[in-house]
Amino acid sequence: MAIVRFDNVSRIYKSGDHELRALDKVSFTLDEGKFVVILGPSGAGKSTLLNLLGGLDSPDEGTITVSGTDISELSDNELADYRASTVGFVFQFYNLIPTLTVYENVKLVSEISKNALSAKEMIDKVGLLDHLNNFPSELSGGEQQRISIARALCKNPKILLCDEPTGALDSKTGVMVLKLLLDMAKNYGKTIVIVTHNQNIAKMADVVIRVKNGKIREVIEQEKPLSADEVEW
Amino acid sequence: MIIMMTLGIGIFLGFNMEWKTIEYDTSRFFSDTKYADFRLYSESGFTKEDLEKIASIDGVDAATRYLSINLELKGDSKKALALDVSENFTVSAFTLMSGEEYDENGDEIWLSDKFADLNGISVGDTITLEFQGMDISGKVVGLIKSGEHMICLADSNQVMPDYNTFGFAYISPAKLNAIIREKALGNIESELLKAGFTAEAAKERAEQMLTDEMLEQSESKVFLQINLLSDLEKAKLEEAVKEKLGKTLMVVSKDDHVVYKGATGEATEGKTMGSILPVLFLAIAILTMVTTMHRIATKEKTQIGILKALGFKNRKILLHYSFYGLFIGIVGSALGSVLGYFVCRAVMSENGMMGTYFDMPDWSAATPAFCYPVIFATIILLALISFLSVRAQLKGRAADALRPYTPKKMKKSILEKLPFFGKMSFATKWNVRDLMRHKNRFFMTLVGIIGCMILLVGGLGMRDTMSGFLDLLDNGVSHYTTKVNIVENTERDKVDQLLKDLDGDWESYSGISIDGYTATLDIVHNDKGRFSVIDEDNKEIDLRDDGVYLCLRLSGRAKIGEYIEFSPYGGEETYRVKVVGYNRSIMTESVTMTDNYADELGISYSVSAIYTDKDSSEIPSSELISGKQDKKQLMDSFQSFISIMDGMVFILIIAAVVLGIVVLYNLGVMSYVERSRELATLKVLGFRSKKIGQLLISQNIWLTVIGVILGLPAGLGTLYWMLTALASEYEMKLMLGPLTYSVSIILTFGVSLLVGWSVARKNKKIDMVEALKNAE
Repeated sequence: MAIVRFDNVSRIYKSGDHELRALDKVSFTLDEGKFVVILGPSGAGKSTLLNLLGGLDSPDEGTITVSGTDISELSDNELADYRASTVGFVFQFYNLIPTLTVYENVKLVSEISKNALSAKEMIDKVGLLDHLNNFPSELSGGEQQRISIARALCKNPKILLCDEPTGALDSKTGVMVLKLLLDMAKNYGKTIVIVTHNQNIAKMADVVIRVKNGKIREVIEQEKPLSADEVEW
Repeated sequence: MIIMMTLGIGIFLGFNMEWKTIEYDTSRFFSDTKYADFRLYSESGFTKEDLEKIASIDGVDAATRYLSINLELKGDSKKALALDVSENFTVSAFTLMSGEEYDENGDEIWLSDKFADLNGISVGDTITLEFQGMDISGKVVGLIKSGEHMICLADSNQVMPDYNTFGFAYISPAKLNAIIREKALGNIESELLKAGFTAEAAKERAEQMLTDEMLEQSESKVFLQINLLSDLEKAKLEEAVKEKLGKTLMVVSKDDHVVYKGATGEATEGKTMGSILPVLFLAIAILTMVTTMHRIATKEKTQIGILKALGFKNRKILLHYSFYGLFIGIVGSALGSVLGYFVCRAVMSENGMMGTYFDMPDWSAATPAFCYPVIFATIILLALISFLSVRAQLKGRAADALRPYTPKKMKKSILEKLPFFGKMSFATKWNVRDLMRHKNRFFMTLVGIIGCMILLVGGLGMRDTMSGFLDLLDNGVSHYTTKVNIVENTERDKVDQLLKDLDGDWESYSGISIDGYTATLDIVHNDKGRFSVIDEDNKEIDLRDDGVYLCLRLSGRAKIGEYIEFSPYGGEETYRVKVVGYNRSIMTESVTMTDNYADELGISYSVSAIYTDKDSSEIPSSELISGKQDKKQLMDSFQSFISIMDGMVFILIIAAVVLGIVVLYNLGVMSYVERSRELATLKVLGFRSKKIGQLLISQNIWLTVIGVILGLPAGLGTLYWMLTALASEYEMKLMLGPLTYSVSIILTFGVSLLVGWSVARKNKKIDMVEALKNAE
């Protein structure tokens, strides 16, 4: 069943007379529970696509439907609620709140999410129960990203959106984090969308969407995706 | 930044220029009109011979027999003039504003231009004054101002001049002579008429009987005062006078004369105000600018990095940014100087607040010398801070400078160890930790709020205290309708009849010396309760008949139960009396005792004023009465004093609010910039803008609560300090109305919430995508 539907979605940036079509009449659907990788070089429009899907930005043309709701027409507050309930984010630079401890960073989402899961349990799942009272600056990059994953899943969202989640990590840690991310998503039955330019990650995906110059070049459904261990990193 | 600098310098300069201008303008006017350095008083008057002796004292530059007497304007008992005669015009003269020059043989009148203006009198008009049942008439030929009447007060109970009802005029000694002659002839004639002479014969005979000697005698009885110019010390002059005249006289230096005292008092008051609130204001402004400058440098980090990467030398970048600070400093100081000038003029100009107090011809604007280095140092400080902040950014390589602002690492604060910290809400924890991480900002914001509170409490409290003081005077001390001033040295039996007619209480004041220190001996009889003597807590004292009460200003001289010695001026006796209490004296520095105690000690005194319930119009003119004063009129004059105060308080309140807004907004924006990444993250996570706004405002509220809690006692302390500094002039009790507390708190909260709200509104525009791109 399709959980995400993009219909002729365009995002146009204007500066003076100049017009840049970051996304140009993009249409596709994503099924629930799938692992999707959006692949493309820098400036292809993949982050724009993720931002639109995450409700951080709104399209200039077309409609985006998520779980039957057209999010392209939502107000600022409705979009905030959408982000709180439907999507979870994992960023390249983790974006943890530096003044909150590990526990507080994860627990934070229970302030806004009605279906939040137990923060402690999530931290336990990512293996950092020993660091509950540490501040983010006291953790390594990999550990920070694990906390970021715990925070995203703690909201209990339908879709997990990840923007270059391993981009700031060394390859060994990156693989570890990726594995954790996929395992967790699978265990909790989440749809997961990863934006990356790393071809190797694409090998693990159920669906790969290739983007270039603001347009979708191809959508590949992979029958037999590789596991993280099978990929040559 | 420029607004901050302008305000800081403007208020600092304005308030300091105010007192300097008072000092400068008044001393220039005093010297122009030959304002007397000393006044000698003798109850029996001064002869020409006395004057010559005084003038011959070494160190006395000039001396004059002087008369100043309050007379009612004929036909209008509510209006009066101080009629002055200076026999030798080299002392206590006047400045001519329009009309004819002074003529020592002239028969005309030179009138206060302000009184003339307000009463529709012009040059060429004739005015008539009443003097002990006699008319003194003359044509007004000149309109004048005089140092002796620069603060034109009817008596020591009035604090604010009212030119509509009281002014001053000068006549020549020749005219005075003619008046005395007429009066003397009249006296002889009436005696002769009683003896059976016909009117014509009596007139003729009287002319024959009146000798120059008799005239000379009457004249010396009129001149109760010698004014002189001298640089001598008071004690030395007293000694010299005693040696020359063979008796102790009351010598009053200009420091104790109402006009000079009033002028120096205003200057001291201004200096006190100028050295507290505006300095505080400037300090807060500078602190804020320093923080802001640092913030700007941090904000410009990337640009500095780019310049460096492009190959600009450090020196060039430093120069560029230091010039930026220098520019703000110079422009702000220039604008501040203009603002300061206007603040000063708002107070010190003919149409300004002091215009109703001082009557002077020239109003300038003078700056205390120390203001220049302060302004210069402020400008240099700004340039230096920008230099240092940018230099910190320039350390290391271009790539380091190109990295965006990195917040400090988080450490656990002491607060976290408190057991309840864990139970606090996410918002509270977030805010507490944010403040702990940005201690400078936290501290600066607190200073801003506390400063705002101090200015509000100080300003409003000063007004409260002042009006409380007046209320006390009106309702706590004075219960009479009219105060009737009695001609000096009137015999007691004559006054007794008047006392009976007026059904009043009375008071006698005279000069005394306590170990060389001049004070007033206040002998009171207040059985009927027309006026009260009050204690430190403003409670009425039931006066004892076995000792004296020292006013609070003199309380340092003896403890209760101890003895003090004093000697009245003009006599040789010394009295040793027991201090039985302290009282709050409204005006004079006084030693108070009952008439019973004075009689027991054998002090000779005469009644100075009678306090009655009768309206002034019901009291017929009498040669015993030198003047009448409505309590209402008196209170009205105080009221205009309060309105000057209101003006100053208004400026302070505006300053406080602007200060609060600028400081808090500046720091609010700083806080917002420093946390923009965190705020963007919260927004991405699904926090609504309103909730993030509340988070930001709640920090403001917390800071305001702390600031108000600390600011309130700080404001009270400042106020108390100011009152102590003013204590030599008034004995005021710190009084603060509930309105002052609530207005101060509400205004501070209002400012804080307004600023918090306008900063919080910004979070609606946070670009989540952009903010998330930056690396930590």
